[in-house]
Amino acid sequence: MTRLHDLNFFVKLAAAFALMTVAWLAPDWRFGFPFAALILLMLWATRVPKLGGYLKGAGLLTLMVIVSWMVNLLLQGVSAPDALAHAAKMAARLVATTALFYFVMETSPPGAILAACSAARLPAVVTLVLSLLFGIIPMLRDEFERIADAQRARGMEIDDVSLVRRLRFALARGVPLLVQAIRTAHAISFSLSLYGFELSRKRTTWREVGLMVEPRMTWKDMTR
Amino acid sequence: MLLAVDKLTLGFGAAEPLLREVDLALAPGRRLLVCGATGSGKSTLMMALAGVIPKISHVAQYDGSVTLEGENVLHIPQDALFSRVGFVAQSAEDQLWDLSVEDIIAFPLENRATPRDEVRARVRVLMEHLELTELAGRRVLTLSGGERRMVVLAAALAPRPDLLVLDEPTTGLDPAARGRLCEALKQASEDVSGLIIAEQDPAHLAPVAGDLALLSNGTLSAVRPLAPALDDTALWREAGLLPPRKHRAQRRTVEPGRELLSVTGLRTTLARASGKPVLDALDLTLRAGEVLGVIGRNGAGKTTLMKSVLGLTPVSAGGIALGGEAAQDWTTAKRARQIAYVPQSMRQILFHMTAAEEVDFARSMGQGREDTGTVLARYGLEGQAETNPFALSARQQGQLGLACAEASGAMIAIVDEPLLARDLEGRALLETFLDRMTSQGRAVMLISHDLELVDDLATRLVLVGDGGIAYDGPLAEGWQSPAFAALGWPTPYAPARESAA
Repeated sequence: MTRLHDLNFFVKLAAAFALMTVAWLAPDWRFGFPFAALILLMLWATRVPKLGGYLKGAGLLTLMVIVSWMVNLLLQGVSAPDALAHAAKMAARLVATTALFYFVMETSPPGAILAACSAARLPAVVTLVLSLLFGIIPMLRDEFERIADAQRARGMEIDDVSLVRRLRFALARGVPLLVQAIRTAHAISFSLSLYGFELSRKRTTWREVGLMVEPRMTWKDMTR
Repeated sequence: MLLAVDKLTLGFGAAEPLLREVDLALAPGRRLLVCGATGSGKSTLMMALAGVIPKISHVAQYDGSVTLEGENVLHIPQDALFSRVGFVAQSAEDQLWDLSVEDIIAFPLENRATPRDEVRARVRVLMEHLELTELAGRRVLTLSGGERRMVVLAAALAPRPDLLVLDEPTTGLDPAARGRLCEALKQASEDVSGLIIAEQDPAHLAPVAGDLALLSNGTLSAVRPLAPALDDTALWREAGLLPPRKHRAQRRTVEPGRELLSVTGLRTTLARASGKPVLDALDLTLRAGEVLGVIGRNGAGKTTLMKSVLGLTPVSAGGIALGGEAAQDWTTAKRARQIAYVPQSMRQILFHMTAAEEVDFARSMGQGREDTGTVLARYGLEGQAETNPFALSARQQGQLGLACAEASGAMIAIVDEPLLARDLEGRALLETFLDRMTSQGRAVMLISHDLELVDDLATRLVLVGDGGIAYDGPLAEGWQSPAFAALGWPTPYAPARESAA
């Protein structure tokens, strides 16, 4: 199933939009919830990286959506069962949507997006924007985790403490994360300048691109 | 003339420019090594020679000229210039982002719309020559520092530049990788007309460079032949550098004290592609007063060992005791109060707004009592207490790392590849740190690819290999051991002995 990760970025994106449309057209929670669960099952089956972290976030999102819609609808005089049904429908839509785009984001490294865009002969600026848009979030998340490890390695107890302290320490990661984000932006800008990236010139790619995008070069077939 | 520099003066707005009236001429076919202490301006000069300054980075003062085959770099369009000049920065991370190995190498060709078959052929050749095929498909940000550097070098070579400018390319490379780098540079000479390399230690790259220029006090010396200069001890000391063919220093001897760290039967959850744990059945001890030199190939498991001890990577079996107490169930933070970690890049572990706050934090995590200003001054950071740590130079950040490690009062310090120790001033700071740690009954794990540094400063040698400790014992025996011979690395000070003979 992990071969699905190598699907062309645009195929993944189109599939995600199509499935998201289905999720939003679901008439009520009795269809929406199983559909969202099916999407989550697909993420698990295709071994999407760091799914545990996503599920925690999705759980929190579901809770927040249900609570906010319940409060809103109850204040408008809607009955509790109807309010719950509506809130559940909205939560299912959001979980399905975020799960689908999480799949696209996690399984599409910037290099694969660059290749798909270059093979499609898209303008260089579109290529760059799409690669950065989908690539920067996993990069910053990894950086956030690395800084947490650094805090631990300096003796800061960030795991075995109350939620409030944990949140405070998480906020303390903001400064180095900001510094790292600026450094990453500088590195990208520097490499683009040094390696001849020009907005007016369409790029090529070393990868074979079709329905799938070649993930790595192999040394078995030297005749290619 | 391939490259000509005429009265080049570069400054960053301070009263005195960093480089003053530098003159240089590089004829086609010449290979020049530029050596200088940390902070002497090597990186700035390399960027100016490559045209990165002023084309990409700007400086407050840029006087004089740099011409490439008679054309002032100021007047060469940026894309055309960097097709002709390959550049590898001191910090390879500055040229990398989250792409795969093949993507990075192919990037300069893809951006210039080179046809796919040509790109593939060139990437294949470079990956084979630089022995990078095992890294195919890997994302560069998951690679070790040494591996990243080789990938960036391949990217610099990809467009077949006329001139290659490399800034400290051997940083983080083990001796075998340095050998591969030299071989790659020799092969590249078929395509590349001129080569300029900045380094602190000339011995590693002597096989590929013919000429030498020394940078100190803002000026570049006249170019001279490299080979005879290697034996001129005074020349290197005047430039603030450790002489490349100095003779072995008196080895440190120590009567080890109580056991501070004990690792028994350690097996990591992290496994290699074959399924074999990165470390398995590993035993290790560290005693008070010791400086344990830890060596091993890139990827042998040195970093994994350090992370396992700190609790940053999960272990599936084995025990860890700190100061006689079982510590395998301790959190990373609790272990870290006994083990101060000084990584190669301090940026990884800084998160306060001032240098003084970093030291204060280190002291608050441990048992240290010394005044912050005193500790900062000891490591050459007087006047920098209120400076943001990220505004310090890489060298100063390394000094801050030593200051924090000492201030923490932790009984063990792990110092990973201390790059500041590559010149006289930095070496003196590291020796101060080691002396203070060991004299206080504490101990240090010194992880390094610099075998001379390990030979000079360590009191015991450990060689990590084959998932465990391949050798553990005195240094002199270690260099003669079968485990060390299996690495195929030169024995430290071997060139000096050959020279003396």
